[in-house]
Amino acid sequence: MKYLALALCALAVSGCVIVPQNRRARLADPMMAFSQDATETHRKQKLYSTREGAAGGDGLTAGGGCACQ
Amino acid sequence: MRLSVKRAGALAALVLSLAAGTATADDARPAFTDAEILGKPPPYIRIESATLRFTHFDQTGAGFQSRAGRRGGPGDEAVLVEQPQLEVVAKQGDRVTHRLWIPIDIVTAASPDAVDVVSSSSRQNEAASVDWTTTYRHDAATSASMRAGMHNEENWRSWNVGFGVSRSFAEDNTVIEASVNQIADWFDKYTLAGKHDGHTARSSFNASAGVTQILSPTTIAHVDYGVTIQRGQLSNGWNIVPLTTGDVALEVLPASRVRHALVGRVAQWLPWDGAAHGSYRFYVDDWGIRAHTMEIELYQRFSRTIYARLNYRFHTQIAPGFFHTSVAPTFELATADSDLASFDAQTVGLKVVGEVPLRFAKSLRFDVGAERYFRSNDLRVSVFSCGLGLLF
Repeated sequence: MKYLALALCALAVSGCVIVPQNRRARLADPMMAFSQDATETHRKQKLYSTREGAAGGDGLTAGGGCACQ
Repeated sequence: MRLSVKRAGALAALVLSLAAGTATADDARPAFTDAEILGKPPPYIRIESATLRFTHFDQTGAGFQSRAGRRGGPGDEAVLVEQPQLEVVAKQGDRVTHRLWIPIDIVTAASPDAVDVVSSSSRQNEAASVDWTTTYRHDAATSASMRAGMHNEENWRSWNVGFGVSRSFAEDNTVIEASVNQIADWFDKYTLAGKHDGHTARSSFNASAGVTQILSPTTIAHVDYGVTIQRGQLSNGWNIVPLTTGDVALEVLPASRVRHALVGRVAQWLPWDGAAHGSYRFYVDDWGIRAHTMEIELYQRFSRTIYARLNYRFHTQIAPGFFHTSVAPTFELATADSDLASFDAQTVGLKVVGEVPLRFAKSLRFDVGAERYFRSNDLRVSVFSCGLGLLF
């Protein structure tokens, strides 16, 4: 919990630095995107949500279909 | 000579006045239209992208919840899934974006399927979903989205609705998102012998909030927390539990479940034209399951159009107190589902992505990837996937 609070503080402090639009070229590269595309995200979700009891709960829908659960 | 000079002056004045008149007429009728200067306005509804993906899952292993094996021992969990998906994103005017997504699962040789216990008529099980998301951009910083969908399966119906908002701050350096989703499942019940025993239902409500923050010109981070509350029949209706007597019984799970997940992600640009992603996820629920998941992704660009990704994921979880591979017949709650057991799981994968410009579209995007998932409690999955997308 202490480390989580430190990480959140670091995130909040660094958030005070504003990176202007013209310095975000690297961030716009597709390699930097957290999610590649929706179909790829679903493929990954399908692999884990039907095989791990601890999947879901983090914004991904839980429930809906169970053919291979 | 003096007279001719006067005539010449009058002639010049006449020519100038005519020229001035002509110029006035030209001003009234411009040489270029708005469309010629600014370009043709885009159509009111236009396709932004269309993506097709095909994925093949090949699973082998054994689990005590499966009845496809000798009594009292783990049963076969072999399954093949072919999963085509189609996604189309269209823009309506300047503010509204629609996303239509249709995933289809074709499940073959699903050995734990209860219907197959009494009949082999459902060796192949098709499932399809339709999901529609509409996003309204209120201004440059704020957008809201509505989501609705349904899922149809051999013995399963599901409906979902959701609402989300997103707001950016500090010149888009910070983006805060929040969403809520409600899912209603309605599905068949079976007796232990595999006969149809009416219907049952489940409700799942999910709320999540996250923040994405640019930390530097080469670093971006994301934190997300979500809670899911489930009520109703949480078993799939055919999983079994081996009994100490040598018989089997249907698993019995609690009637509710509250699940929490906290996720942190960081992406860092690397100076050799690469990128590294790291993520950590902590999960806990009121059944007693706790899990930690770490994932690393390494990207390397080989040219302007081609890059590759190498990924590794480690997941560890502990089982709830009512997980047993053999239980006395007087039990109140019990499951033998290998997905709820204590185990470690690892995934390794490789993917190659290309994006090439086209004449009739902005670009063509394609990717080919393979992953291997293996668990410490006898489960392995090979995944092959390829995607093809047109961006307009």
